[in-house]
Amino acid sequence: MNLIGTLPLVLDVKTLFFIINKGLQGNVCGQEFLDIILMAAAFDQKVVVLFEGDGVNALLKNQQPECLNLKNMMPVLDTLPVYDINDVIVEKESMEVYGLTENELAIKAAVVSRSDIKKRLRSADHLFGF
Amino acid sequence: MKISIQINASPYQHQAADTAWHFIQAALEAGHEVYRVFFYHDGIFNACRDSRPPGDERDIVKRWSALQSEKGVDLVVCVSSAQRRGLLEKSVAKKVGGYIHAVADGFRIAGLGLLMESVIESDRHLTFGA
Repeated sequence: MNLIGTLPLVLDVKTLFFIINKGLQGNVCGQEFLDIILMAAAFDQKVVVLFEGDGVNALLKNQQPECLNLKNMMPVLDTLPVYDINDVIVEKESMEVYGLTENELAIKAAVVSRSDIKKRLRSADHLFGF
Repeated sequence: MKISIQINASPYQHQAADTAWHFIQAALEAGHEVYRVFFYHDGIFNACRDSRPPGDERDIVKRWSALQSEKGVDLVVCVSSAQRRGLLEKSVAKKVGGYIHAVADGFRIAGLGLLMESVIESDRHLTFGA
């Protein structure tokens, strides 16, 4: 892990969109995806996290994945502001599909319509999914 | 153009490793630079030294090793993805009494920092198996 040796002195800042479109439980990919998000923030990149589709359910309050012997990802989502990740958006249409309201969300996130998200995606240098 | 690759799926069960490999061949032939191939999630199984497919089938692991030895492409396996799935780097394996020859030739084990570095350094970052 020769990280220091390979890093350039000045890093570019890119806009990285991370799209969470499935639940964070069930397999470990969601958890590993969050690790990439935190790493991007640690590298001082401009990070946007988007919840859409099935992924909006990851934001629901009072989840108890421990019952199924699964890791609770809420502490990681709670950590996002600590990493200066404040650009968290949820797709309005997806919330409607699952009947979610804004006050059921466990973390602070901006509810944005699909058409506005499309516009925002154009500003991204890279899109990540899992 | 500088291109970095991320492979998220295991070989043989998914097309990701095949498509990525062919993409890399074409990219190199067209004069592009492949900055790094980063193996994440179940993609780490692309680095299993003891993979032994039948003789009349493509050997995906050997094909990656050859890409490194012949073209000098940097092959990096995520340390946390690999440890979770039982693919240990030699020094770690020695320490915990694990199998020390797990990782095939040409691959190196490193952290997510190297993924982020290649994302920042490259003009394009392509994910296969998302």
